[in-house]
Amino acid sequence: MKKIFVDYKKCVACKGCEIACAIQQHPSHNLYALVGDKKTQVNVRVLGVEHEAFPVSCRHCEPAMCLDACPSGAISRDPQTSAVVLNPDICKACAMCAMVCPFDAVSFKQTHRAQYGRTVAYKCDLCHERLQEGLNPACVDACHSNALVFKESDELSNQRAVQNLKVYLLGDEGEPPLFSLYRELRRKEFARRRSDKS
Amino acid sequence: MKVVTVGTGMASADFVQQLRQEGFADEIVMISDEPYAPYSPCVIPFYLAGDPLESVFWKGQDFYQRQQVTPLLEHRVVEIDREQRLVRTEQGASESYDRLFYAAGSRSWCPQADWMQTAGVFGFKTLTDMVAIDRYIGQQGIQRAVVFGGGFIGVDAALALHHRGIEVTIVHRNNRLLSQMTDVEGGQFATERLATKAGLDVRLHNTVEALSVDAGQLRGVTLSDGTTLDTAMLIVTTGVTPNSAPLTGADDGVSVSSELLSEAGIYAAGDVALTRHLVSDVPGLYATYPNAQQQARVAARHLVHGSAHYDGSLNTNVLQKHIDFPIISVGVFEGEPVTWCQGDLFRRAYLQDGRINGYILIGDTRNAGHIHHLYVTREPVDHNIAEILADRRGVSHYRNLMQLQTPVTV
Repeated sequence: MKKIFVDYKKCVACKGCEIACAIQQHPSHNLYALVGDKKTQVNVRVLGVEHEAFPVSCRHCEPAMCLDACPSGAISRDPQTSAVVLNPDICKACAMCAMVCPFDAVSFKQTHRAQYGRTVAYKCDLCHERLQEGLNPACVDACHSNALVFKESDELSNQRAVQNLKVYLLGDEGEPPLFSLYRELRRKEFARRRSDKS
Repeated sequence: MKVVTVGTGMASADFVQQLRQEGFADEIVMISDEPYAPYSPCVIPFYLAGDPLESVFWKGQDFYQRQQVTPLLEHRVVEIDREQRLVRTEQGASESYDRLFYAAGSRSWCPQADWMQTAGVFGFKTLTDMVAIDRYIGQQGIQRAVVFGGGFIGVDAALALHHRGIEVTIVHRNNRLLSQMTDVEGGQFATERLATKAGLDVRLHNTVEALSVDAGQLRGVTLSDGTTLDTAMLIVTTGVTPNSAPLTGADDGVSVSSELLSEAGIYAAGDVALTRHLVSDVPGLYATYPNAQQQARVAARHLVHGSAHYDGSLNTNVLQKHIDFPIISVGVFEGEPVTWCQGDLFRRAYLQDGRINGYILIGDTRNAGHIHHLYVTREPVDHNIAEILADRRGVSHYRNLMQLQTPVTV
């Protein structure tokens, strides 16, 4: 199956992926409708880890621990794309999935898809509906620095993926000089902030 | 080869589904004392809280038809005749089998068996219970209820009823709710929030001593501290008993091998199965869905292919139904405690030999999966557990992955 790989060394924390995801997931598919809308759902989160940035999202593991833990039948695997998909109509927000997801990729709130006026779980669905139209996931299309790449994942990686997130990392293409410079500046800035604090 | 399942619960449904996935094409009969398609016990309290009944049938209402199963419903299994390979039911049916999958689940245990004969007193375990409670609330216009027993199921029941708009008093004998899945401090932290944030009227160090009954109808209860409460509805959640007697002669669980066999030709799984713990190796009834599912899959693979191995059970629990502060409990609370607590967040891990022995996380799920992973993989964490527990943003896993050193703060 094709998966989203992360080359965090190319992530400049622009959060373009977050915005693109929110637009994709919003019923209006419109940027302006997101403003002030508490039900907006964002399935990717750019996490600042020291001087680095990491776009955190569902890894669509095989086997998926969240899928195996779900007692309401709300999480399933999309037969076409192999994406791990959550059906909010039958999700009870019991948190069994979040309790075991090593990637912290499941969140809870009352989204636009939540029925019955209560919280549901939400997570990345690999934009499986876009994929069926031949498009890439919205976050990948929005990523200008190629930190997010949608490509075929071999079976070996899938097996290893359960133990280790590292297989989702790219970095074999070498780092462009501008990125190296950018990261060096960030590293220095964070070191300066730390020394200021202490 | 004909397969019979005793029970149509989560273990049986997963077992049948796995059998069909493994290519098993022969006859399957599923027996239950209830009239329903397989449903999820974790989900049924939501039916009381207002969700539609259809949403409890987690594998679809057409499960029997889709899996080409013959259901034998509203039949209670009372005897397993090993010599003739027959399952006999109270209703007079007998069903032959070549392989038996025994997953009869458990039932509510009531301190006074005669209480359950009173109109207005219910257990809280099956969909039959939920449907009866729902009907009773509607007929009687119930606005006030007492839940006796403040374990997971009791709190689950109280929250569902409270969400429906019923005033709920929960009575528990211990010094905190959820006393089996928490330590004292964690439990008290959770109890305080269940009272203040979730709005439950909590009566600790207390039991229901007597019922006030008028012509077979509940009118009120008397607590051990002498308080009397007027109520027409009492939910008894003081414990559960495994339904193992038809197989073993006693209701204390069924010992199984690592192939989930209790004896040749008979598998047992789910709430009735006595299995070994994955981490501690201690045998016990580890009645949670993920365990039942793994057991069912192993049994199905073993039946079809002749080999499969169950690694062991985990005791993981999470309560986040109708509340915004999940209560997570895993493992045993023995060893050296490391605690981090701030505002509405409480996180504590117990370490033994530098590894996580058990943990309690209350307030969010932010680092729960990472900690679960460290617990199951038995990774030494004595050098960084304090940092992991104090991590509010969920960076510790990613910091480790990116091989970044923990910043030295002076």
